[in-house]
Amino acid sequence: MKEEKNNKNAKKFGMVIDLDKCTGCGTCMVACMSENNIPFKEDESNKLYSITWMRVYRLTNGKSYPDTDICYLPRPCQHCGGRGDHGHSPCVSVCPATATDYSKETGIVSQIYTRCFGCRYCMAACPYHARYFNWWDPVWPKGMEKYLSPNVSVRMRGVVEKCSFCFHRYQLAKDKAYYENRSEIEENEYQTACAQACPSGAIAFGDLNNPAHAVCELKKNKNAFRLLERLQTNPKVYYISGRQWVRHAGDNHLKRDS
Amino acid sequence: MKIDRRSFLSLGIGGAAGIVLSPLPWKLMDDSAIWTQTWPWTPVPPKGDATYVNSACTLCPGGCGISVRKIDERAVKIEGIKGHPVNDGGICLLGLSGLQLLYGPTRIKTPLKRDGERGAGKWIEISWEEAISNVAEKLGDLRKNGKSGSVAFISGIDKSTVPALFKRFLSVYGSSGFMRMPSAADSYELAVYHSLGLKAQLGFDIENSDFVLSFGSGIIEGWGSPVYMMRANGNLRKTGGKIIQIEPRLSNTAAKSNKWIPLNPGTEYALALGLADVIITKSLYNRDYINNSTSGFGEFAAFVQSLYSPDKVEKITGIKKDIIETLAVDFIKAAKPVAICGRGQGRAQSSLGEVIAVQALNALVGNINRKGGAFTVSDPGYFSLPGVISGKMAETKPANIFINDVNSGKCTANALFIYEANPLYSLPDSNSVKEAFAKIPFIVSFSSFMDETAMNSDLVLPNHIYLERYEDVYIGSIPKPVVSLLKPVVNPQFNTKHTGDVIIQIAKKMGSSLADSFRWDSYDSFLEKALGDKWKVLSEESFFEDKKAAELSLKKFDFTGDFSDFKSLFLDLNAQGNPDKYPLVLIPYDSVRIANGYIGNPPFVVKTVEDTALKEKDIFVEVNPVTAKALGLLEESSAMIETPKGKAKVKIHLFEGIMPGLVAMPRGLGHSAYDKYIAGKGINVNELIGTIEDPASGLDAGWGIRAGLLKC
Amino acid sequence: MDTKIISGELKRCPAWQFGLWIGAAGIVLLWGVYATLLCWIKGLNQTNMNDAYGFALWIWADLAIIALGGGAFFTGFLRYIIGKDELKHIINYAVIIGFICYSSALIILGIDVGQPLRGWFIFWHANVHSMLTEVAFCLTCYLFVLIIEYTPIILENRRLGNIPFLHNFGHNLHEIMAVFAATGVFLSFFHQGSLGGVSGVLFGRPFAFREGVFIWPWTFFLFTWSAAACGPCFTILITKITEKITGKKLVKQNVIELLAKISGWMTGTYIIAKIVDTLYWAKVTLPKTGFGFLDFYTNNPLYGIWILVLEIGICGILPALILISEKGRKNPASLMAAVILAVLGVCINRWVMVLQVMAAPVLTFETWQMYIPSWQEIATTILPLAYGVIVVSFSYRYLPVFPQEKELNP
Ligand SMILES: Nc1nc2c(c(=O)[nH]1)N[C@H]1C(S)=C(S)[C@@H](COP(=O)(O)OP(=O)(O)OC[C@H]3O[C@@H](n4cnc5c(=O)[nH]c(N)nc54)[C@H](O)[C@@H]3O)O[C@H]1N2
Ligand SMILES: Nc1nc2c(c(=O)[nH]1)N[C@H]1C(S)=C(S)[C@@H](COP(=O)(O)OP(=O)(O)OC[C@H]3O[C@@H](n4cnc5c(=O)[nH]c(N)nc54)[C@H](O)[C@@H]3O)O[C@H]1N2
Ligand code: SF4
Ligand code: SF4
Ligand code: SF4
Ligand code: SF4
Ligand code: SF4
Repeated sequence: MKEEKNNKNAKKFGMVIDLDKCTGCGTCMVACMSENNIPFKEDESNKLYSITWMRVYRLTNGKSYPDTDICYLPRPCQHCGGRGDHGHSPCVSVCPATATDYSKETGIVSQIYTRCFGCRYCMAACPYHARYFNWWDPVWPKGMEKYLSPNVSVRMRGVVEKCSFCFHRYQLAKDKAYYENRSEIEENEYQTACAQACPSGAIAFGDLNNPAHAVCELKKNKNAFRLLERLQTNPKVYYISGRQWVRHAGDNHLKRDS
Repeated sequence: MKIDRRSFLSLGIGGAAGIVLSPLPWKLMDDSAIWTQTWPWTPVPPKGDATYVNSACTLCPGGCGISVRKIDERAVKIEGIKGHPVNDGGICLLGLSGLQLLYGPTRIKTPLKRDGERGAGKWIEISWEEAISNVAEKLGDLRKNGKSGSVAFISGIDKSTVPALFKRFLSVYGSSGFMRMPSAADSYELAVYHSLGLKAQLGFDIENSDFVLSFGSGIIEGWGSPVYMMRANGNLRKTGGKIIQIEPRLSNTAAKSNKWIPLNPGTEYALALGLADVIITKSLYNRDYINNSTSGFGEFAAFVQSLYSPDKVEKITGIKKDIIETLAVDFIKAAKPVAICGRGQGRAQSSLGEVIAVQALNALVGNINRKGGAFTVSDPGYFSLPGVISGKMAETKPANIFINDVNSGKCTANALFIYEANPLYSLPDSNSVKEAFAKIPFIVSFSSFMDETAMNSDLVLPNHIYLERYEDVYIGSIPKPVVSLLKPVVNPQFNTKHTGDVIIQIAKKMGSSLADSFRWDSYDSFLEKALGDKWKVLSEESFFEDKKAAELSLKKFDFTGDFSDFKSLFLDLNAQGNPDKYPLVLIPYDSVRIANGYIGNPPFVVKTVEDTALKEKDIFVEVNPVTAKALGLLEESSAMIETPKGKAKVKIHLFEGIMPGLVAMPRGLGHSAYDKYIAGKGINVNELIGTIEDPASGLDAGWGIRAGLLKC
Repeated sequence: MDTKIISGELKRCPAWQFGLWIGAAGIVLLWGVYATLLCWIKGLNQTNMNDAYGFALWIWADLAIIALGGGAFFTGFLRYIIGKDELKHIINYAVIIGFICYSSALIILGIDVGQPLRGWFIFWHANVHSMLTEVAFCLTCYLFVLIIEYTPIILENRRLGNIPFLHNFGHNLHEIMAVFAATGVFLSFFHQGSLGGVSGVLFGRPFAFREGVFIWPWTFFLFTWSAAACGPCFTILITKITEKITGKKLVKQNVIELLAKISGWMTGTYIIAKIVDTLYWAKVTLPKTGFGFLDFYTNNPLYGIWILVLEIGICGILPALILISEKGRKNPASLMAAVILAVLGVCINRWVMVLQVMAAPVLTFETWQMYIPSWQEIATTILPLAYGVIVVSFSYRYLPVFPQEKELNP
């Protein structure tokens, strides 16, 4: 009985990103940085050391002038459900200290900074490079720490961090609903910072299980795909593109079937 | 007790075992782990009550409404206001980074007076009284010596109340030297004046159009009002509208467009005339509109038919004539087509001929001041300065022309005031700007940041930044102009002063007519009076649409643009430089991820810059692989780029999406001032490019410069 | 000077010479310690690891060291469980080498993690699904076993042996050593496998991922097998080097040959399994992920097919054949060559399973990542070497490590 009730209430938060709408403006990256107290350094040009929970990749079709084409692909953590959606995300299953976990209630892959001891095994496991290590102590120029948000803890050196689907916003929304004597939150009450900021409206966020939420319909688009589906990581981030080459770039293909 | 070896050992072993079994090591281990979780050097943001303050963003001319989240007295996040007519909840990456500017190290904390050489970065901190007396004295002396006319203002904005105070100040003081930073708006305004006889800006209704023919306008690159345009682009897509992008480089707008048509840079006007020719020859134009609402059509038709047939245009633009023909037909047959121009973000001027040629296309379809077309937007009507003043109200001129005039000796400037602008960095041909600056003995900057221009001034009177002050924000580059109100989200963080207050106090200090014309106690009380009944709306709603400015005038479109000789209007303006010495052409490009106005890129924005544009301190130029191969250049090769204006070391990024023979460099890098997070990254393209004077208008029609690229 | 500590009958070099030797190794050790301190105090930014290369040089060293340290458990297995009695003449040394390898591995792990002070969370907040948890538990337990195995050897020191308590303690330990050896063997079998599992379970990384049985990917078994095969070769190699340096014959050739023969057969069977595994991976596992075999050996400056040929052919099949053939074993030169190749082979395998895994792109729009270790990484990776030299030197000087030494050097 209880099980059943729980399953019915279980949410599966996810995203649908329309790559044809995305302009590559990078706003989602910065929305995430400013929402989630992401640190920065004097030189951020080496992307192997640059923490960007949301990273916008630039894809090209490989053709020469003037048949060249570009597509931008924003990549948050994919909140992988793992094979069969059992919650064994590539990263969660390998973490030796249970510092990253899969929530069956929300489908969100959490990251507990104070638990993580920095072995980076999860980074090795994640095929999307969604995880970032704090190689340095985070340092804000004097006075700048004033803008830090208390809703997201600042990470110390030596731990891994990644996109949380702005989990704190979920908690704030739930708290609000609780105070207002509601048991459920509305779709618009829990939106991620990146989805909210995107000037092109390219990112939709919501409960993939809930037919009332936009993402539920959007993910059924015939041009919807996920990254590296063949690996059975089962991401909760869907992409839409009308361009065949873009959809093709979402996964690896053997020469003979491409 | 005598301790023998045996008991010593057993004691030792026993002791060790005892310690291990005691809570001590475990406690210590636990403590040390907890300590790593609370390292004192890792900040813990204090908790507090969350509130939101609605205001507006002034970091670019976009005019977005923002909602700032605060925790107690700290501003912690900037978001877009849902329902705001400009951005409806959206925001851009620069707007999101505002708090890094508010609290950042690049702020100027108190008035500064230059000590030592200009630009050496040596300053003496002075009080506001001293600063204001200093300026008043200087201006008093100049006026006494009959040199009032040699005082100039360069402002980044020109339509709202603070520039109105500057203009009033200059008028009463006896100068006409009010300048704004150059942009496509200069060309639009001139074109509107010539073709419609109106003093108005242009706003394009992209959102409601179904076919946008863009002559290089970076609709999603930050053109005009960036978030507004991105939203418009999104809406256009939703309704199935098309965008055709014409430019030599595959910009993001080009990549996202329905069709990208590369053309030889600088030949946009010819393409527009060629399209007009096809439309006219095929008799596809809007007869009703042409007959009733235009003049000079016959002359124009004869001109384009004699000189801009598709064959000829193919030769000029490099676009196949059948593409030109199809494009013309597609354009004219669309229900609500609109042609737009102003390259990249539209932060640079274009030739008058180019804008008039493009406007002629809009006239041919009859979509001027019609839904989905080009709208004329007159000067704001939401405020008025009380009291009559003596003297003629100063006209706005583009700052680049002023710089040329100072250099050529046509104009002498004895004092220059700079507001919300960074001309030393952002005007093309930086060396000539420096030269002009060197000729001006007294330069005052109102900048809140230690930018290049502030760095090279004599006196810095730091303004509050937009999050610390009241001010009106006007955005007139969209069909329905919007006014928003800046509100002090937080108290001023440093010893800064509202520039409006500074002007009022200087005027008071100077006495006589000036003091009489500035009788307000403070800028805030002035603003309230100037806004009249709008004050209430603004302070409550934080924005409203300026209906007065949007009132449409139904004047006729004059195809001749008031020019008796079309040949002096429509010109092939060659890039500067000898093709033998400089076989390539350098074109600057705009990226929405690089701020290139007077605001330097805050750290968050720099984080988004791709490593194919900037790596450590090196800037990358884009070159087609074919061009690179001929020059022996590979991806990431170092090279020296040289133009008639200067040379610089760059790195090569091979890009298939750029026309062979061109080199593209991003605008907005290569700052030398501000702080370590902004400065020293790449090259400022303005140091390499020059201007091309458009003989028809005197404006800068520059779109590139010849260049050489040498492996090094 | 230290003659009182040296077991009476053994001939050892003069103290000053020993001091110089230790001093030289000590300098290298200090260099490594300095680098270690830098990593601890300033953080892992001292390395050239990055977000694409979360596992790098020293994790490879770690895996390689543990594989090579496998000589201890496998020799122990042969001696105590299978009953190959001759091996008692080399077991001490195998244990010492194993101890060095395993303690080094733990030191490296202590440097490798971003928050060393929280390292124990791996035990406290253990995640049973994680191979690394398995590794940590087994590694730690096995190190304890090795310490217990090492202790009686230490207690045989002339001075310590004179203390009755310690003497008896050591003697008693000896008596029950088989139990520990068996435990060690079990633990070691297990965690060698877990180490293989570390990369084998990465289903997001098709280059590393292997199917398998139950929770274990094939790499689990391959790692154990290869460690058992090549670990003894390392024991032989180190023994030979020690003989060279000391200028003495320390272990009888028949002992070496026996170990070599077993190693040869182990290597031979391992390499067959490895070939089957590679074929299965290339033909069955990989295609399901959309990758072609050659995708992992082209389009990059380093990893070509050559590495596979080197690992499997030259450093696998070849040494196996040499060691299996009596002629090959008997010829000192070919024996040495085979032993070196086998050691190299297992090191390449671990390299591939750590570094090539990180280097190969998975997303279609990413490219190969190459990485060059920083000096701090190199110093900390060499640290165990210097530490090993010192432990071996002290052990050799003061402990009766080689039971046949006296007999062979009358
Ligand atoms: N009034 C009241 N107070 C209580 C209780 C109560 O019932 N009533 N219960 C008590 C109990 S039992 C407990 S356990 C505590 C819980 O108290 P807290 O530990 O404060 O728990 P939360 O508020 O649930 O979560 C803490 C923070 O974790 C963030 N977070 C969520 N996911 C992640 C992630 O993946 N990474 C990181 N870094 N942060 C994340 C959230 O956004 C939130 O800011 O409260 C105690 N206090
Ligand atoms: N949705 C959601 N679920 C959560 C959490 C969350 O944040 N959100 N937090 C999780 C966490 S961290 C925790 S600790 C758990 C807590 O979950 P529970 O342990 O279920 O906590 P409560 O519901 O606060 O308290 C349990 C019951 O104890 C009763 N009680 C109070 N005092 C006493 C007493 O003295 N004696 C007895 N016999 N009963 C008493 C209360 O009336 C209540 O009915 O919830 C977990 N579940
Ligand atoms: S903010 Fe939106 S449009 Fe911009 S890069 Fe992100 S998803 Fe794309
Ligand atoms: S994207 Fe990476 S970090 Fe996110 S859940 Fe999947 S494997 Fe884990
Ligand atoms: S780095 Fe942290 S989160 Fe990742 S696996 Fe290790 S302990 Fe877990
Ligand atoms: S969902 Fe939140 S945490 Fe994730 S990328 Fe978007 S803004 Fe960042
Ligand atoms: S577009 Fe301009 S006004 Fe709008 S948020 Fe960005 S910087 Fe501010």
